[in-house]
Amino acid sequence: MTAVEPGSFRDPSGQVFENDGRIFRTITARALADYTFVRDSGVLRRLVDSGRLVGAEEVDPALLSDGAHGAPIVVEHPRIPFVSYPYEWPFPALKAAALFHLNLQIELLADNVMLSDASAYNVQFIGPRPVLIDLLSLRRYREGEYWVGLRQFCEQFLNPLLLRAVLGVPHNQWYRGSLEGIPTSDLNRLLPFHKKLSWQVMTYVVLQSRLEASANDKGTADAGAIRRKGLSKSSLLGILTQLRGWIEKLKPADTGKTVWGDYARNNTYTDAAEEAKCRFIAEFAEAVRPKLLWDLGCNSGNYSAVALGAGASAAIGFDFDQKALELAFDRAVSEKLNLLPLFQDAANPSPDQGWKQAERRGIQGRRDADGLLALAFEHHLVIGRNVPLDQTIGWLTGLAPRGVIEFVPKDDPTIQRMLALREDIFDGYCVEAFTAALGAQARIVREASIADSGRRLFWYDRS
Amino acid sequence: MNRIHMALLAVPALLLLSTQNAYAYLDPGTGSMILQGLIGGIAGGMFAIRLYWGKLKSRFGRAPVSASLRDAEDAPNDKVR
Repeated sequence: MTAVEPGSFRDPSGQVFENDGRIFRTITARALADYTFVRDSGVLRRLVDSGRLVGAEEVDPALLSDGAHGAPIVVEHPRIPFVSYPYEWPFPALKAAALFHLNLQIELLADNVMLSDASAYNVQFIGPRPVLIDLLSLRRYREGEYWVGLRQFCEQFLNPLLLRAVLGVPHNQWYRGSLEGIPTSDLNRLLPFHKKLSWQVMTYVVLQSRLEASANDKGTADAGAIRRKGLSKSSLLGILTQLRGWIEKLKPADTGKTVWGDYARNNTYTDAAEEAKCRFIAEFAEAVRPKLLWDLGCNSGNYSAVALGAGASAAIGFDFDQKALELAFDRAVSEKLNLLPLFQDAANPSPDQGWKQAERRGIQGRRDADGLLALAFEHHLVIGRNVPLDQTIGWLTGLAPRGVIEFVPKDDPTIQRMLALREDIFDGYCVEAFTAALGAQARIVREASIADSGRRLFWYDRS
Repeated sequence: MNRIHMALLAVPALLLLSTQNAYAYLDPGTGSMILQGLIGGIAGGMFAIRLYWGKLKSRFGRAPVSASLRDAEDAPNDKVR
């Protein structure tokens, strides 16, 4: 059965289809000249070989069971392990994607190739490594042309980064509600006057926002004249390298301690407990060898790293703490881990949204995990968000057929801290209730106490 | 370079004082195109200077200071507007 990828309706140059788990892309007649230029100049091969463009092998169009809709060329792409969106990326991931886009464009200009847009959704991550997934955004550079993607680049990459770098506000929640990115005019209104007194902010936020407004007032009369005037290639390269130099230096403004940032180094465990926990997870990963492991409450990625070292192929980490996610991302880069840490609030996960509510998928509808880690996690839902214990366990075991869940007892210092200023309404919260609820959903393969912490690990299997 | 920056800051400073209606939903991206026209010359000039500087440095046996210079050297050396 051939199904059109619901997010690929915008570009008339081609569409993405899924057929029996394989991913195909049609290239229509209107995109043929650009595609053959990029292919025949060797650019396509070079980008694929260096891992910067997702693989694309031409196949017989008849492979698409419903036909290629008259498209002269069909290519097959390998599947990306897990599709993620910019509103889920932590700051360093969005920054890596922005620099990836700029570097790619700067390099491609030497080959006379231009990126036709600057959509952040065209970048995906394999582990912490960005890769372009849309080969149809590569086209021949036309002498004197403007960078048509600048506005989109600002809204989808630069402005969300500035939100955090200048104001200390993470981009994720706003971006999730505003799928096309953070409008420059909105950012301009938010920035206090003293933050505008930098050359780059003045140019790309204040001036651009004013120019957008005045261009609207004047209508399209100016557009033709501007287009005819043109922009030299060195000016284009100048703008691209200037933006790159600026973005390279951006870092979060709120560098103070966050709740979990120091957790991995400074937690409530003793070394013996930590060692026991790592051993349990390693044994689970070695036995189950998950292809896609979800690590809920991944913190700085410690246990994902253990699981990846013991037999898991790829891990997606989820957390709502920005600092922890940043540490996890940096760690995945420096230790070359196949780990992608993403922002996610388990009590309010990414929904199906966009056009027809199908363009961007909810977190659970994307791809099933075959292994789950939920360590020191369940109490944040049960105690922190009042989600009933059986619902929490039902949801967790529903995410993957096999996994490890850690139970945290009520007398644990972290729960004591959570209850310090509120009434304890969790009368039935105990290890017996947890065991019964888990036993109702899955077989408990093994359980182990973590040293003398009172915490307990449960390895479940519902397959 | 600072004097150029100051002069350029004056333009947007004037823009800050003016008020106009924004119909962002109609904008085809003209604003960002005009922006490129305004800053392109300077950005291109600075790009050429960095390129020249990098070449000068490498002639005296020193490596370019940043990745941007590496790419600058690979790029075709267009005439700056």
